[in-house]
Amino acid sequence: MDDHLIGILSNIGVISFVALSAYLLLLTGEISFGQQAFFAIGAYTAGIVTAMWQLPFWLGLGAGAAVGGAAALFVGLPTLRLHGLQFAIATLAFAEAVRILFELFRYQVVRDGEPVGPNGIEGFRSIRYIFENDVSATQFMLIIYGLLGATLFGFFLLERSRLGVAFRMIGEDDLLAATQGVPVIRVKLMAACLAGAIAGLGGGLYAHLTTYVEPAIFDVMLGVHSLAYGLIGGLGTAFGPLLGVVIDIGLLESTRWFAGYRMIVFGGLVAVLLIVRPRGLLDERLVHRIRRVVGRRAPPKPANATVLRKELS
Amino acid sequence: MIAARDLLLSLFLVLVSSGSGLAADVKAKAEVSCSATARPLEYDCSIKLSDQRSGEALTGVDVTVGADMPSMPMAHNVKPAKAMPGNEPGTYRAHIKLEMYGDWAVKVDLVGPVRDRIVKSMRFEPRP
Repeated sequence: MDDHLIGILSNIGVISFVALSAYLLLLTGEISFGQQAFFAIGAYTAGIVTAMWQLPFWLGLGAGAAVGGAAALFVGLPTLRLHGLQFAIATLAFAEAVRILFELFRYQVVRDGEPVGPNGIEGFRSIRYIFENDVSATQFMLIIYGLLGATLFGFFLLERSRLGVAFRMIGEDDLLAATQGVPVIRVKLMAACLAGAIAGLGGGLYAHLTTYVEPAIFDVMLGVHSLAYGLIGGLGTAFGPLLGVVIDIGLLESTRWFAGYRMIVFGGLVAVLLIVRPRGLLDERLVHRIRRVVGRRAPPKPANATVLRKELS
Repeated sequence: MIAARDLLLSLFLVLVSSGSGLAADVKAKAEVSCSATARPLEYDCSIKLSDQRSGEALTGVDVTVGADMPSMPMAHNVKPAKAMPGNEPGTYRAHIKLEMYGDWAVKVDLVGPVRDRIVKSMRFEPRP
């Protein structure tokens, strides 16, 4: 497979994590402009674990996800009592605070006579795990998609569980959900934690894919995109945000039809879709229709009716 | 079925081999400089590659040069261009076409006897 194509597919896979993270919060009715902060926390954590502490890769990814989830819990406790615009602004403020903190964050060790680690605004370079351990680009892409598949399977199970139903109930009307006995704040905190962990896992993969991270990567643009993917692709299923990522990075980026004007096209696409299909391409209604068509049972065989007529005569 | 097997094998290899001392012998170092051409947003880049440990020039590697705009990760990036060997050992030349002026992270990818990636932050401005 062409290296450029592998790069695009890997990018699609990694960004899908942050898109799924924003989607999970959208399910509970909350708009977060701050999921890029957990992506950043996961990226820096995983990079520190493998490149500086020389610990195994899976431990780096696990630490990225765990610290991302813990940070989301820390932010969620004071902010999840807010609603709508207030919550959105709070998440944006948190994400910007995290980005600025990474601009000030300096922690380096010397390896091979060269400092390695976060160095403020210059970022964190030499996260060379894939080169030091001879992991090919194709192998790393398969790892990304293996973990993405596992995450999607988690969503599949979640949507069929009581917790998944509670997420959607709160998303529809949290007051009504509370009257039905759903512990709204606790369930929202769980959603925020899971979303933070998913973004943290994606961040860990991103750091090892690109081998470098810097605070500028994690600005509000990434947060807006991750939110837009769910709104474009649809909120009916976890495949919705993935469709959004494929449309943006896969179609617009790989074809380069619009070159430098791509962001304008992307913005226009989001605006049009919000008017025409407010809950995205794969919205709940379409997903329900698809499930009905796929799950429809075949009609009884006519042969049975023929036999019955014979018996009657 | 084969894809599923490859996936499991890759995951297994990566998780098992982590920290097992398979570190590459060569760590590449690059000096990158780019100059604007007569055409807007097009730049000629020269790259000088050496082994960071021994200081020897790196020859016989396939070099590609790409770039990402850090403020818009994956939104604006440059399709990697293949670099051609220069006159001196370890030197390479590549022509890149950007989408806009500003700060870019230039990625130099090495494939062949040495596999590595070097990232340099550079500011690209119009020709004076």
